[in-house]
Amino acid sequence: MSAPTAVLQLDHITRHRAGRPAVSDLSLRLDAGQVLGLLGVNGAGKSTTLAMVAGALIPDAGTIRLNGEDFVEHPGLARRAIGWLPERAPLWPELTVREHLDAHGRLRGLGGAELARASQRIIERLELGPMSRRLAGVLSQGQRQRLGLACALLHQPSLLVLDEPANALDPVQVAALRGVIREQAAAGTAIILSTHLLAEVTAACDRVAILHEGRLRFDGAIQGDDHKLLEQTFFDIAMRGDGSNDRMQAA
Amino acid sequence: MSVLAVTRLELRRLAVRPLAWVLAALTVAQLAGRFMLLLQIFLSNQIRLAAQPGGPGYTDLVGVPMLSSILTSGILPMLPFGLAELALVVVPLLTMSTLAGERSNGTLPLWFATGLPASRIVLGKFLALMLWLVLWLALTLAMPIALAHGMTLDWGKLASATLGLLLMLAALAAIGVACSAYASHPAIAAAASLMLGLALVSLNVGALMAGLNNGLFNWLSMSTHLDTLVRGLVSSADVVWFVLVIAVALALATQRLAAEKERG
Repeated sequence: MSAPTAVLQLDHITRHRAGRPAVSDLSLRLDAGQVLGLLGVNGAGKSTTLAMVAGALIPDAGTIRLNGEDFVEHPGLARRAIGWLPERAPLWPELTVREHLDAHGRLRGLGGAELARASQRIIERLELGPMSRRLAGVLSQGQRQRLGLACALLHQPSLLVLDEPANALDPVQVAALRGVIREQAAAGTAIILSTHLLAEVTAACDRVAILHEGRLRFDGAIQGDDHKLLEQTFFDIAMRGDGSNDRMQAA
Repeated sequence: MSVLAVTRLELRRLAVRPLAWVLAALTVAQLAGRFMLLLQIFLSNQIRLAAQPGGPGYTDLVGVPMLSSILTSGILPMLPFGLAELALVVVPLLTMSTLAGERSNGTLPLWFATGLPASRIVLGKFLALMLWLVLWLALTLAMPIALAHGMTLDWGKLASATLGLLLMLAALAAIGVACSAYASHPAIAAAASLMLGLALVSLNVGALMAGLNNGLFNWLSMSTHLDTLVRGLVSSADVVWFVLVIAVALALATQRLAAEKERG
């Protein structure tokens, strides 16, 4: 029996930024319901990778397949299939929370009753009701992040791309975010999230990939009690760029 | 459908921005003042004008001058600007944030991630601007048309002038969108589009002063093509000139946006 089609399949993607390779020869596979944590120090290539996966950047080389289809050749696939929350949620300051959801829904092909239902569902799930009439320009950083997440989830994408989603969230909101991630994964959404927080990865992800200087140095499953091993592996790679001495792989 | 989604979003953003309302209020107030002065001049000269066979009428002295000051230069030193002259300043201010604003606000990658082709993003934004500009034009035209029941209005001449203004507004909007696509900041986009608009309008004056008539510089100038339409003569060559300018400007904006997605 053949393996099910991956939601996301990166094959040898490379991308240069400012004249240097930001991501080199990266290959990854992500199946439905999987949560992949992307780790790496600043400048490791995490945000560039996620921007390519979200369709905001085009790779210089390599292929990105979304549900089996070439995403670089058909960028329109992103419209319904991908939800993206960049590092700093990009919002239009002059629009309200409700108007953001409305605009994102329409840009993603929702309309009429379907859009109204989706907006209401996400407002209730992320508890955005009290601020639904407020302008995005006056929201706190944490509220902006929640609105960005709502926009990413609105159209129920098959792939959710989250870049530092816990940025500026308080501990209660971080716990709520983990709940949303688990819920989405249980519903079959493939999730790729980048973070600096190792605890975030062990708490929310079932797989981890570590990038260093644009290259994939580690990719493997993690268990709940792997925090120490993950930390050691991460520091080995980050400090020495050494992926061969890989305790987690051995474990 | 996706173009309409972009247009709808842009219209909403225009509607909640104070700049669009301030520009509309100030310019419509100025045009209302101009209308009153033009009407006063027309009424005080009505008997003398009626005695002239084939002399200028309400359309020549009030209707068309609301749209452009070509026919009234020198008559109204206090309020010299018709809609065409105001558009040279208003359109760059309105278009400056179209794409440069997204860039400085960090929302441009969000547009790329929607999977919409650059052409649809540019077209959607252009259409939203055009709807605002058409409304502006309609408000201006409403003033002379409001008195149409008591005056003899030359509808053909007014329609020709309206078409000229519509094409001019579309050309300036397309140039504004293109400048916004290339500029890193809205203020730079506004300055560039203002300079380009002024250059396109004044090219003809410079060429005529240099003794050039019917040459390349005259053809390149926007005022050469606008004047004909404002005077009531619809020529396909003039319409094609405007369509070409609009198409080239929008194509440049699209190309720049697509290149930006590729370059990152």
